[in-house]
Amino acid sequence: MGIETEIKTIERNEVKKVEQEMTQDGPNTTLVDMPRLQHLGEVMTDHGTEMAMALAILIVGLLVVRLLVKWLRKVLQRLMPTVKFVTTFCNLVYVIMVAIVASIAAVEFGAQPLNLLRLLTIISLVAIGLFIFLRPFIPSMPFKVGHTVKAGNLLGKVEAITFLNTRMRTFDGKTFFVPNRQILNEVVMNYQFSGSRRIKIDVGIRYDQDLLKAKRVLEALMTEDARVKPKPGPMVYVLNLANSAVELGGRCWVDNKDYWVARCDLMEKTKLRFDSEGIQFAFPQLDLHINDEGARPGESGVPAAVSLTGFGSREATDEKNI
Amino acid sequence: MKIAEGLKIIESGWIRKPKGFRVKFQRPTDAGLEVGLSPPDGAAPLTSDVTAWRYAWKLWQATRAAAETGAPGALYNITVVDDQDQPFRFYGTGEFETYSPKHSDGKAANGENET
Repeated sequence: MGIETEIKTIERNEVKKVEQEMTQDGPNTTLVDMPRLQHLGEVMTDHGTEMAMALAILIVGLLVVRLLVKWLRKVLQRLMPTVKFVTTFCNLVYVIMVAIVASIAAVEFGAQPLNLLRLLTIISLVAIGLFIFLRPFIPSMPFKVGHTVKAGNLLGKVEAITFLNTRMRTFDGKTFFVPNRQILNEVVMNYQFSGSRRIKIDVGIRYDQDLLKAKRVLEALMTEDARVKPKPGPMVYVLNLANSAVELGGRCWVDNKDYWVARCDLMEKTKLRFDSEGIQFAFPQLDLHINDEGARPGESGVPAAVSLTGFGSREATDEKNI
Repeated sequence: MKIAEGLKIIESGWIRKPKGFRVKFQRPTDAGLEVGLSPPDGAAPLTSDVTAWRYAWKLWQATRAAAETGAPGALYNITVVDDQDQPFRFYGTGEFETYSPKHSDGKAANGENET
């Protein structure tokens, strides 16, 4: 009996020790010992509904936001096809709506709206501050969406600019994705950096034509065009007294958007107006002068010596025997 | 007179610069010939007379058969006018031109187009 009593006493003490240890460590020890899955199960039991609701709000909300912004972009592009800031505006709306959806989901999960508002305000202020202070150090592209540019050998319209690449559409319909670092290393020609462009109409008239009349006709033709800007006004210069032509240069300024069509129209009108006014264009010509004096006796009728005036040159009077 | 003043006089008095162009035409209705414009009043006009004349010519080609037979859809007296509703000379000839000419009494004029 004595031994049995001792064993029971020892067991009781052991149990007491364990209970005391457990009581001292508190519930953490219980959690550590609990299997992880069981813990997850308890969490899901306690907060599962809120988590599921928050997740559902987030997924559905993001889908709805995406659809809404897509619809908004289409509508704005249809209503205001010339406005350049549609994409930027839509991106801004997208960011704001995503933030709203995320906030609603967080509140549903149990976050305090006031704390959330504070967090969002801090994030916004930090982002704006970083943007303002780091902007001069961020390499910016020398063009915007919608500009017509030539980068390297690629000429086309910029459709989109992302962090990694620039999407360009050439005039024959091909789409190119050019890495931004490559563009930044190239010489870029931006045709729409300034609002207007100069049109050059160079024509050559024959030496026997009325030069002043040709100048007047060309200047009037540019002046009366609705797209040509009055300031700086159209000008016509005598560029060169060339071999076979008096070269005239017409210069006028138009808006960038009108450049190509206006240039083609003015070219067409120049040709037709000069024709109707009786002003003849010059063309390369070769005058052949037969010199009878150089012919040998008995070989009359066959030109033994001729002179060439190369390509209508008035100055080139050197005679060459052939 | 300063050069700037002289340039203003030239700008306003030398050559009038039209602000836009429209194709003017007449189409038969029950009440007679009705005048129409394309693009209509209120819409932005065409900025190019070349485009306007090309548009007028295409309208003429598209309605030519109907105009000759008097069928529905015919368009008459197709021409280009400027922003002041004044006829504008065809840049190709420097003359005023009218496609499918038809006099107000309803008789078709001689020839397919008048200058």
